[in-house]
Amino acid sequence: MQSQSQPQTQSRKLMLTIAGILLLLWTILTIVPLYWMLVGSLQDSAASASFRPAMIPEALSLAPYERFFAKTAAWRWLFNSLLVSSVLTVTNVFFASLAGYAFAKLKFPGSNAIFWILLSTMMIPAQVTLIPLYILMVNTLQLQDTYTAIILPTAVSVGNIFLMKQYMSSLPTSLIHAARIDACGEFRIFWRVILPLAKPGLAVLAIFTFVASWNEFFWPFLITSSTDMRTIQVGLASFVFAESTDFGAMMAGATIGALPMMILFFSLQRYFLQGITIGAVKG
Amino acid sequence: MARVEFRNVRKEFQDHSKESFTAVAGSDFVINDKEFVVFVGPSGCGKTTSLRMIAGLEHQTSGDILIGDRVVNNLHPKDRDIAMVFQDYALYPHMTIRDNLSFGLKNLKKPKAYIDQKVKEAAAILDMEPMLGRKPRELSGGQRQRVALGRAIVRDPQVFLFDEPLSNLDAKLRVQMRVELSELHKRLGATIVYVTHDQVEAMTLGERIVVMNRGIIQQIANPTELYAKPRNMFVAGFIGSPPMNFIDASIEGGRVVVEGGSFELPAAKLDALSPYAGRKLILGIRPEDIHGEDYAPGLETSPHRMNTHIQVVEHLGSENLLYFHIGGRLVTAKVHPETKAYPGLEKPFIFDMRKAHFFDPDSEQRIEI
Ligand SMILES: Nc1ncnc2c1ncn2[C@@H]1O[C@H](COP(=O)(O)OP(=O)(O)O)[C@@H](O)[C@H]1O
Ligand SMILES: [Mg+2]
Repeated sequence: MQSQSQPQTQSRKLMLTIAGILLLLWTILTIVPLYWMLVGSLQDSAASASFRPAMIPEALSLAPYERFFAKTAAWRWLFNSLLVSSVLTVTNVFFASLAGYAFAKLKFPGSNAIFWILLSTMMIPAQVTLIPLYILMVNTLQLQDTYTAIILPTAVSVGNIFLMKQYMSSLPTSLIHAARIDACGEFRIFWRVILPLAKPGLAVLAIFTFVASWNEFFWPFLITSSTDMRTIQVGLASFVFAESTDFGAMMAGATIGALPMMILFFSLQRYFLQGITIGAVKG
Repeated sequence: MARVEFRNVRKEFQDHSKESFTAVAGSDFVINDKEFVVFVGPSGCGKTTSLRMIAGLEHQTSGDILIGDRVVNNLHPKDRDIAMVFQDYALYPHMTIRDNLSFGLKNLKKPKAYIDQKVKEAAAILDMEPMLGRKPRELSGGQRQRVALGRAIVRDPQVFLFDEPLSNLDAKLRVQMRVELSELHKRLGATIVYVTHDQVEAMTLGERIVVMNRGIIQQIANPTELYAKPRNMFVAGFIGSPPMNFIDASIEGGRVVVEGGSFELPAAKLDALSPYAGRKLILGIRPEDIHGEDYAPGLETSPHRMNTHIQVVEHLGSENLLYFHIGGRLVTAKVHPETKAYPGLEKPFIFDMRKAHFFDPDSEQRIEI
């Protein structure tokens, strides 16, 4: 017995050690650029103009931030990002949960067919639909350079509908029946019974949608043209093109752009972890 | 006036392969006003489906359902004047008990004073005033079960529908709730349709019992009749615990012959069984109708005796269960504890043939004698 289990625990230890080292390397690889960005943004231009910021800065300075805000419409961009991300979060949570509930719990003709058609659209790469979408928005609907144009294409995503369907399936059907007998209208069942129970799922969906919308670059970049309509990510890119020498200010802008996500992540860590497993749970 | 009537009601489900599965096959019955009727049968026999069709949660494939004098086929559950208690209680987890109780009345836009009055009454009936401010997860199983009852009571429905409401309670609480349910029925004076897989619950609660198997109603009768005159082998085997013994038998020369013995039959019974002369049939006898020779009050002089070889003895205190084989079938006898018995003992048993049943082995129907 002893001699049999000995090599097993030893090989297990070895595996754990290797896994630990790999994870550590990965963590370092991930953190170094972020650290560099932060450190670069906190040193004045003389030191960072060469884009060789000291890894351990001697003197900290907020000058790059001042320059970034002075030279750009950063406040406006932040406002735009906040607006777009918030609206997208609300629309995605609302429509995805409504659709997910319908697919999970309501019987209607063709529900399976519709669901599979929706799912199959996930197989089409976003790049394929980009040009038709652009033509639709700009030529047909004349919406270029508006909030509507930024928001509309991702107002609800199929992935989110799928996620919500999985989540809603785990809620007990008998509650819906009880509510129906309790003379509760169908929308009211959704609003008063289902949504309150789905809160943990909705929270995860909301956070992931907000983060994804905040970080979205390509579509807002394509559909907006005026400085005032840019989101922070698009604005940052344009600033990089315009001020290719002021690395300090660039780093400051990047930090500003990433900061809300970091705050969100650290305050809501638990939901992020839930989000990874949520598709897998089924009650 | 709230009778419930099924007229040839069928329910088929379509599964994924588009094959249809018959959950309820042409049910016909009438439940009278203020009657307590229990649907009983093994799991999957279509009890819940029947109940949900009364509620309007499931729509029948064909046939008519009447509540009162109305055909309710196309009525929404809220318009059927019914209330339902679910197996898992289905309390709204995010609402307080008070809100759980009043949710239905609020949806019906009843005046606040009326709602408060109703909630108060129900809470008093079910002894749950102190719980009104709590959430369902803060209650025990028995308390949740009361809330589920209360939610039905506040609606003042013509018909109460119960789907295995006691199945999640422990044995002791179940007995207690059974008594309370009976009292509640008298007090409310409403029609109750109650579903259970537990035949003891069915026998103790039901004024009439509907026995179902595989979507087909086997028999509708009151408990006494169901026990004394089961229509077929399914009902005979399902009602009563331990279940009725079935022994292969034949009629030869005016006697019922089984492996290892035979019993003489009175002339009257023989007449009814004469068409089966020389053929196989099945003798059904309940465990409580088999007695040890040494303790058979009133049957001491009975000629219906047979030697058997006891294999297993189970002591239950108030009675003992003895097991032996006749014709390859395991037979159970429920005997008085003073009956002398131990494994390996061979002794004569008295079979109370007055209470014996005979079944046709092909149709499994009971032969009326
Ligand atoms: N929604 C449904 N879809 C398909 N089959 C169902 C559905 N509901 C019930 N059934 C089937 O119908 C049969 C009867 O079910 P049910 O009435 O729930 O039985 P029980 O007597 O245990 O309450 C079962 O075989 C069950 O699998
Ligand atoms: Mg059931």
